[in-house]
Amino acid sequence: MSKLKSLILTLLISLMFPINVFADKSDDTFVAAFSRELTQLDYHYGTKTEFLILGDMIDSGLFYVNREDLSYVPDIASDYKIVDDTTIDINLRKNAKFHDGSNVTADDVVYTYNFIVKNEKNRRSKKIKGWMESIEKTGKHSVRFKSKYPYANLFNDLYRIKIRKNGIMGTEGNWNDSAQLNELNGTGPYKVVSFDPGVEVVLVRNDDYYGGPKGMPAIKNVIIRSIPDMGTQQAELMSGGIHWMYNVKKDIGEAMAKTGKADYQLGPSLRVGFLVLDAGGYSGEGNPITKLDVRRAMNHAINRDSIAKNLIGGPAKAVHTACNPVVFGCFQDVKKYEYNPEGAKKLLAKAGYPNGFDLDLWSYRDKEAAQAMAEDLGKVGIKVNLKHGKLSALNKARKNREIRAYFGTWGSTASPDTATISNIHWRDPAKGDRNLSGNPKVNELMLGAEQTLDVEKRKSLYAQGLKLIADQAYWVPLWSYSEGVLSSKSIDFKLDPDGYPRLWNITWK
Amino acid sequence: MLRFIAGRLIVVLSVGLTLSIVTFFLLNYVIDPAQAIAGEDALFEEIEQIREQYGFDRSITVRYFEWFSGIFKGDLGISYYWNKPVISLLIDRAPETITLALMSVSVTILISIPLGILAALNPNSLIDRIALGIAVTAQAVPNFWLGLIMILIFALAIPIFPVSGDKTFFHFVLPSIVLGASSVPAVMRLMRTGLLDVINADFIRTARSSGFYGWRLVFNHALRNALLPVVSVLAVQLGNKFGGSVITESVFAINGLGRLALESILGADIPTVQILVFVFAIIFLFFNLLADILNAYLDPRLRL
Repeated sequence: MSKLKSLILTLLISLMFPINVFADKSDDTFVAAFSRELTQLDYHYGTKTEFLILGDMIDSGLFYVNREDLSYVPDIASDYKIVDDTTIDINLRKNAKFHDGSNVTADDVVYTYNFIVKNEKNRRSKKIKGWMESIEKTGKHSVRFKSKYPYANLFNDLYRIKIRKNGIMGTEGNWNDSAQLNELNGTGPYKVVSFDPGVEVVLVRNDDYYGGPKGMPAIKNVIIRSIPDMGTQQAELMSGGIHWMYNVKKDIGEAMAKTGKADYQLGPSLRVGFLVLDAGGYSGEGNPITKLDVRRAMNHAINRDSIAKNLIGGPAKAVHTACNPVVFGCFQDVKKYEYNPEGAKKLLAKAGYPNGFDLDLWSYRDKEAAQAMAEDLGKVGIKVNLKHGKLSALNKARKNREIRAYFGTWGSTASPDTATISNIHWRDPAKGDRNLSGNPKVNELMLGAEQTLDVEKRKSLYAQGLKLIADQAYWVPLWSYSEGVLSSKSIDFKLDPDGYPRLWNITWK
Repeated sequence: MLRFIAGRLIVVLSVGLTLSIVTFFLLNYVIDPAQAIAGEDALFEEIEQIREQYGFDRSITVRYFEWFSGIFKGDLGISYYWNKPVISLLIDRAPETITLALMSVSVTILISIPLGILAALNPNSLIDRIALGIAVTAQAVPNFWLGLIMILIFALAIPIFPVSGDKTFFHFVLPSIVLGASSVPAVMRLMRTGLLDVINADFIRTARSSGFYGWRLVFNHALRNALLPVVSVLAVQLGNKFGGSVITESVFAINGLGRLALESILGADIPTVQILVFVFAIIFLFFNLLADILNAYLDPRLRL
């Protein structure tokens, strides 16, 4: 009995002392939470945003997206020269080092790209192989890329491929895909101290970091925790267990900010929403959407300003182009369709549908916004049957050419170039299933803009392409999205114009 | 008895097999695994690369038999999402779930047994009604809601327990209460009914006439007999805790099998989901089997 008493006493005493000891400014430790798990450290094996954020903290590519003007700037590269439309010479920083202390040389860069291209299991293999002809070492700290054709979005790939140490991923025919999954010899501003997959990754500032456009981090220690439930993340933020969380919806963020314990920021994101219309008639006979007046009527029928303001929130705005206005090449002087339900009705009548028609509208996210659009279309006579479900169901139906209209979105995370959205959406229909315009000219212009390094020529081609898309109303461009972040009062975090959270730039207040 | 156990084992394995087939085909039908692994904004090339890499371009039947035959060779497959063998994921995550399951059953016992005794000793009284009210409330409240309320009270308002994680014993206290609460009504009511039956039995009257009364009578004579059916129900409840841990582990960010199941479903990690469904089913069926055996042992009529 005395044993039981002492056990109860010990338990009570232990409960009296605070057990929640948190990392904070006093020990220079910043804690962030992600809803999605970090399953590995090597960015080349993950495609989601969380992997890119971590990748930018512990790794570096040849280029980087500048946070102020969203341009591509040299990172491990020190400078570059475009020799001709298919050749680019790149010099490397001489002070760039891996976390093990060894210098980054041309051999490492050549090895990395050969590994990516030759290793079929790597998720970026096909993408890079698509344009890269060769890479060769031209000096101890210089390389030459040759592309199969002039490829303008090259810098995005040179940013996304993180440089690996020569030999670390094995050799041709004997690649070791798991070599860097759980411990990583990177080149980024932070080093990995420990990694518990799906639980947390602990980082420490890399004091030998070469600087570069990311800058030297102000905070020494970073912990990124995987906490799947947003409610739990909020509780952790309120209790001081974490300092930062993202993907926070407007109502939740504002309510949390009112407690005075957290700051809420709602900033722009590169994601845009749009309706893709089957103008080309791929979904079969008797499709009203093949008529230009019907497509224009749909553009006039949706009150995108109201939906963007009330349902998407924050800096979300109506867009009139098939791209986000802040990215390169997103020409804005195109035909704009203002909200005009009466005009829409007249256009429908002119097209031979005075009483409207029935339409299956497919969607996979933002159900409220999809419902609001369905209601708007209903007001002009288009009776929408909203088919809201999983993205994979939409993809399958689109692949089978069963879709007349769908509500899509595209994120372009850290890829501030129209090429990122246009490449997948305006491809030759033989090479993809998203270009429903039925007009080869769109493909010619929009993908043509990727096949030259001449900036002015690119702008001109995008301008022509985007004008054509708007004139012919192949899409109903809808709105840009916003990114919501909740942060502790003790840190200084600013959302950048692309909504991409650059955690390495956070400072203490 | 051996024949009885063998018969039950065949049922267990048949259910497990059926579940694995249904899960495999449903998952592949509902989700495009390549898209789910690649993410919403993945490029066409990335999705196709994943499709080829994991063989999703082959027929579902071929893939199922490949997976199934692998099991007999001891190969549970490689997780698409975690890039490691499923068996090592299970081994890594099982201790957290076992701890949570055992602690939550302990919570169930600590709440339901005293409540059941109190209710049985005071039938139809205010105490009985309060006990019933507590039990019904515990059953009616959803896990995720109770979890967040517990966090609000015991981690934020009165910060004695951590909000989330699984590093110390204290991290398991709130989730155990949440998970354990849902089993309280079944056990409490069974305890109450069992004890009421026993209290009116002849041998208790005899014990009373021999001078035993009050708590001594309850603990030394009545409780022992009333507990037998409760034990078999607790075995079933323990099996339930493994499957029920999915939501609780996610709310409290406990890195156990339940959270692994949720992550794997969302990430279309078919090899992991397959094994987890199978494992959860086997655990559940095993504890049911254990309860059946216990019942059969106690009541020979069931063995016929």
